[in-house]
Amino acid sequence: MKLQFFFKIFLALFFSFSAYANENIDNKVKKLTLELRCMTCQNQSVHDSDSDYSKDIKKFVKEKFQEGLNEKEIKIILTKRYGEYILFKPYFNLKNLFLWLFPFILVILSMIIFINHSKKTKLE
Amino acid sequence: MVPFIVLTTICLFFLIFILLEKNPNDPPSALLNKNLPTFSSISLYNNEETLLSDSLKGNFTLINFFASWCTPCRAEHHLFFKIKKEIPELYILGFSHKDDLNDSKKYLEEEGNPYSFVGIDRDGKIAFDFGVFGLPETFIINKDGEIIYKHTGPLTKKIIEDEIAILF
Repeated sequence: MKLQFFFKIFLALFFSFSAYANENIDNKVKKLTLELRCMTCQNQSVHDSDSDYSKDIKKFVKEKFQEGLNEKEIKIILTKRYGEYILFKPYFNLKNLFLWLFPFILVILSMIIFINHSKKTKLE
Repeated sequence: MVPFIVLTTICLFFLIFILLEKNPNDPPSALLNKNLPTFSSISLYNNEETLLSDSLKGNFTLINFFASWCTPCRAEHHLFFKIKKEIPELYILGFSHKDDLNDSKKYLEEEGNPYSFVGIDRDGKIAFDFGVFGLPETFIINKDGEIIYKHTGPLTKKIIEDEIAILF
């Protein structure tokens, strides 16, 4: 009787842990695939797309998370094959420095021009 | 006035940079000028015949991913006979990608078989390693085993003349 009770508790715990782990992995898959570009669609993430390509990538990402790889490692594998184009948000590295900093440079330049222009107008 | 012109020029330059880099019809290939991925593939016609990626070294190789269910593949298929005739030293390797094997055989019976070897890529793993995302896709590998050309979509006579023939 006691053994049966402990067995039931063990089963309940086992299934709740496995359900939690699956949910956790599904959340991780969702988070990562939302950051990946569907290469065969226009402006859609892998998560939002139902194309064959996206299904394969979702399956691959899930398998890799189950194998214990982290988000960064999976991104590296994918960019080695598909290039950084697969990432909606490119890496912050020397190659992409211009891409990342340009909006800020543009804002600063615009502000300088705007201030100078305002000063000139005031003086006049 | 001058600062506005400078600002506009910078913005235009940036816009052109983005548009050139992010053309959705021709995404940049990550594998260009890199070694071809390692693979092993069984022949479509003989279960005991296997092709290893290492065996491709020493020859120029054209690799084409196709499937019987892929309509654009049929459109380009006859052009591989033209390539074979014009560049006889080229080893033409076809991969039956995520296709039923009998359907692939039937497709090659109907359209003809221009390939020196037809490998099976049933689960799409080889295509994944090549960064394939849509059929058909064609790669050219040099004698050192490096990918020197990639084309996504069906080949045309113009592409063969302007982009492929000049590689030899």
